[in-house]
Amino acid sequence: MQNAECKVQSVEQSEGQIPLAVLFQAPTASRSARSRSVMQLAICTLHFALCTVLFPFSAHAQSTRDTISALQPKVVKIFGAGGIKSLAAHGTGFFVSKEGHIATIWSHVLDADLVTVVLSDGRRFTARVLGAEPQLALAVLKLNGAEGVEFPYFNPDEAISAGTGTRVLGFSNMFNVAAGDEPVSVVHGVIAAKTVIEARRGVFDSPYSGPVFVVDGVTNNSGAAGGVLTTRDGLLLGMIGLELRNAKSNTWMNYAIPVNELASPIQQIISGKFERKKDPHEDEPSLKPRRYKPLDFGFLLVPDVVERTPAFIDSIQGDSAAAKVGLRSDDLVLFVNDELIQSCRALHEAIGRLESGDQLRLVVRRGNELVNVEMPVPKKKE
Amino acid sequence: MQQVAEPNRLAESREPKADVCCLFSEWKRMTAIGCRPSAIGRAIANLLLILLCQPAWSWQSPTRELEEAEEQAFKRAVSQVAPSLVRIETVGGLDQVQNFLLGNGPTTGVIVSADGYVISSSFNFLSKPASILVTTTDGKRLAAKAIANDTVRMLTLLKVDAEGLVPARPTAKPSIRVGQWAIAVGRALDANAPNVSVGIVSAVNRVWGKAIQTDAKVSPVNYGGALVDVDGSVLGVLVPLSPQDNSPVAGVEWYDSGIGFAIPLADVLATLDRLKQGKDLRLGLAGFNFASTDLYGGDTKIDRVRYDSPMYRAGFKDGDLILELDGHKVTRPAQVRHVLGSKIEGDKLAISIKRGEETKRADLTLVAELPPFEAGFLGVLPTREKVGSGSTEGGAAGDGVGVRWVYPDSPAAKIGLKPRDRIIKFRDQSITSAAQLIDQVSRVRPAEKAAVIIRRDGKEQSLEATLVGYPADLPKDLPTSAIEAVADAESKTPDDNKGGEAEKLRTGRFAEEVAESKNAWWAFVPESYNPAYAYSLLAWLHPPGDTLEATVYDSWKLEAERRGIILLGLKAANINSGWQANEAEFVHETVVSFQKKYSVDTGRIVLHGYDKSGPFATHLAFKHRDLFRGLLLAASAVAERPPENLPEYRLQFQLICGSKDPAHASLEKMAKSLQGIKYPANFTSLSDLEHRYPNAEGIDAMARWIDSLDRL
Repeated sequence: MQNAECKVQSVEQSEGQIPLAVLFQAPTASRSARSRSVMQLAICTLHFALCTVLFPFSAHAQSTRDTISALQPKVVKIFGAGGIKSLAAHGTGFFVSKEGHIATIWSHVLDADLVTVVLSDGRRFTARVLGAEPQLALAVLKLNGAEGVEFPYFNPDEAISAGTGTRVLGFSNMFNVAAGDEPVSVVHGVIAAKTVIEARRGVFDSPYSGPVFVVDGVTNNSGAAGGVLTTRDGLLLGMIGLELRNAKSNTWMNYAIPVNELASPIQQIISGKFERKKDPHEDEPSLKPRRYKPLDFGFLLVPDVVERTPAFIDSIQGDSAAAKVGLRSDDLVLFVNDELIQSCRALHEAIGRLESGDQLRLVVRRGNELVNVEMPVPKKKE
Repeated sequence: MQQVAEPNRLAESREPKADVCCLFSEWKRMTAIGCRPSAIGRAIANLLLILLCQPAWSWQSPTRELEEAEEQAFKRAVSQVAPSLVRIETVGGLDQVQNFLLGNGPTTGVIVSADGYVISSSFNFLSKPASILVTTTDGKRLAAKAIANDTVRMLTLLKVDAEGLVPARPTAKPSIRVGQWAIAVGRALDANAPNVSVGIVSAVNRVWGKAIQTDAKVSPVNYGGALVDVDGSVLGVLVPLSPQDNSPVAGVEWYDSGIGFAIPLADVLATLDRLKQGKDLRLGLAGFNFASTDLYGGDTKIDRVRYDSPMYRAGFKDGDLILELDGHKVTRPAQVRHVLGSKIEGDKLAISIKRGEETKRADLTLVAELPPFEAGFLGVLPTREKVGSGSTEGGAAGDGVGVRWVYPDSPAAKIGLKPRDRIIKFRDQSITSAAQLIDQVSRVRPAEKAAVIIRRDGKEQSLEATLVGYPADLPKDLPTSAIEAVADAESKTPDDNKGGEAEKLRTGRFAEEVAESKNAWWAFVPESYNPAYAYSLLAWLHPPGDTLEATVYDSWKLEAERRGIILLGLKAANINSGWQANEAEFVHETVVSFQKKYSVDTGRIVLHGYDKSGPFATHLAFKHRDLFRGLLLAASAVAERPPENLPEYRLQFQLICGSKDPAHASLEKMAKSLQGIKYPANFTSLSDLEHRYPNAEGIDAMARWIDSLDRL
């Protein structure tokens, strides 16, 4: 009855007024009302709790657009030496401390006496190279005249790893298209693969040897090296590398060096405790004498006539290790200790590198079959 | 219990406007007088309260959820198809093909049957490897054998000895939509995991109906791999392709560029049984060519039906207009190519044409090879009209083409043709120019009869000639065609340059260097050059080590003056190492520029090679059959298999060699094999000559041959 009265009143009101009265009724102080309030409170608390539980990782939950606007201030444009022939005079870097330390790629751009760093909002600073680890293609710069200024930065210790198919963003000043007070360019893609590049073998002409993210996206244009690769949520993955050609497939690679590999050296350089790691290959003579030959195991290969003469076995010496494990002439040697052998030359090199005490594991093709054999590497009389 | 307020107090508080502050005061007033929320009010309040209790960070934008879901879908699709992909490694083989450096890294293949058949891109086997190795997802290594190639779609079928493999699931072609996700998956980059590129389907039925186009990154790291949709079922097998070129490395230059191709797996499975038999699949041919050279603007009128082709046997003729192919209406050559582009030998083709008022229909079975094209030979050298004299429009109306000379013992001789006769009609066609007559004669096969109407001394005569094949021997004498001396100094410049600041055309011996490349050339234009007459052009390609400029100039200058031949001696960038494949452009461009500047008969442009420049000359001649009409090889044997003789190109051969030259036997054999596939080819043997540039007797023969290139 009381409800009806309130409603009746609202109907009588004029057109222009929002009938707020429909939301109201006569007050009742019954137990049902009170328990209803308690229920309301309970539902709200439960909802709040569920939200907290169900989204534990959503501390960074944001769309790509939000990520980009949050990250742009952390990426900087670097200008230095270059500008001759195909060497660009510009590159990219990113803040790794709030005091203004910048991680970037170790390249010719830093060869200048004065390196200029321009932020996403146009602020210019000069910078000096604080330290570098060329084997990791890493350099760390420090801004001059930035005392007391705080910069938004990536924490290298918080870098993560991610799997193939993960959507990524690449931030870089490719082609120097970001003029002055503009933020750098963003490209998108996915992680195509996670693999290892071995600089020493001559397949990749790169100072860096180690794991890389290969990116499905054109991240590695001119001037992009030193930029960042992140997930959609803005988590740091890697530093974009220099332009590199994969000789195995004869194609240009888009890739980034995982920041996980760089975090430690970066922190050491910043804290001043950095010591350059000695190049493990520095002491090796450039032309290593071959320690072992196929004959040491008792087999001979066919004559090496063309660049890619396949490693067919020509003959087996009686009573040798090769004869004992059952190798036959016309067997095609395919793998030496898991390394694919493409030619006679490659086989000679692979056997030449063996050390005494090792095992020599061969996989040979006999007709349509693959045969595994194993022979001990004999002791070499020095 | 509170009492409800008196009704009249509510009624009094009516207010005219309804805005926020009024709402608020209204709400305050109502609660003040004791009204409490109704059922509806409570519901709304609860909802608001619950929403406000949601923690701030979970106000997710729908974009993020979508991005997340898509990312999961990509990863899932890749893991679905991974068991059906294999890593292929090859050992041994060539380093490069057609000047293209081949990588030797791993490549990818797709398993198409559980008993071990794997399909991959033919690009992965261009090196003709000594051994092929396949590694499945679980790490098992298997030896593989190449079974057969699909040369139309650039695929290779392999077989491994295995059981229980997981074949790839194909996507049904009609369900493929432009714009849907398309993920390119390969196994080349990493031994343990697939490599991925995400893109969309950009187009279907590309490259003349053969392929799906995607913007995912397609390159040697995934050629032979799978293009999958978000379900993990395979749209197609990734291959390099180019619409303009059929060579094995065509399309590789487009890697990672935003355009990549995949052959629909459904199509591959449809021809799998035929590939399994071990026979390569080749393009299916019907046996005709178009009159129009404009792919997109011309009409579908047939120029020639090839003799004994499927079209010929179904009764179609020159001049028929194609209306429909396989139920599709066609009005342009490009549409026809689209239907024929993916046909394999043995496939069927439903064709209907229009001839005059009637239409005709047939079902053809396409073949891989057609009987070699052979043009009939009449035995007449036509008179060479003056350039610009209007001979292409028939000169004096109905004047036909004059007979300059008749080959002895030829069909023309047998019906009594004589010099100064004029051929005015051939096979009921009015003849207006020598080029047209050459075309008409070539449509008659040897042993077929043709009606010839001539005019002699003002009277017309009807004759019937039985044509023969091109004679194997050159006639011993061939008269020259007179070139009048230039009347005055002014007419040395071509007509269109008159009055302008024209460069005076050089005659005699001169040379030039090309700035950009390191090439150069020398030339000899007869001193008596008269632009009113058309000249032959001899493009000379020297062997490595010596340009032989002096030898060639001294040997040829007399004949050049006599028979009206312009000599063009091209020089390689590195004289000692000789011609490289990438210098073909330079040769082509220089010849074309000469052809434009001087009065050159397009039917008498000859490429001349000697000794080691033979292969390059041969390769060039076959590549540019539209420009070169003759290939002249002296003491140079070539192993390259010639392409089919086609009616639209008139390429003729003269092979000449000293009898004491070691290359004699192989050159003679080459001439015979060319004659076997019905190319007009002559072989001239020079007695007592060793391996040297031909002597005077040889030059005479070669000049005679050049001068006879416009023969009928």
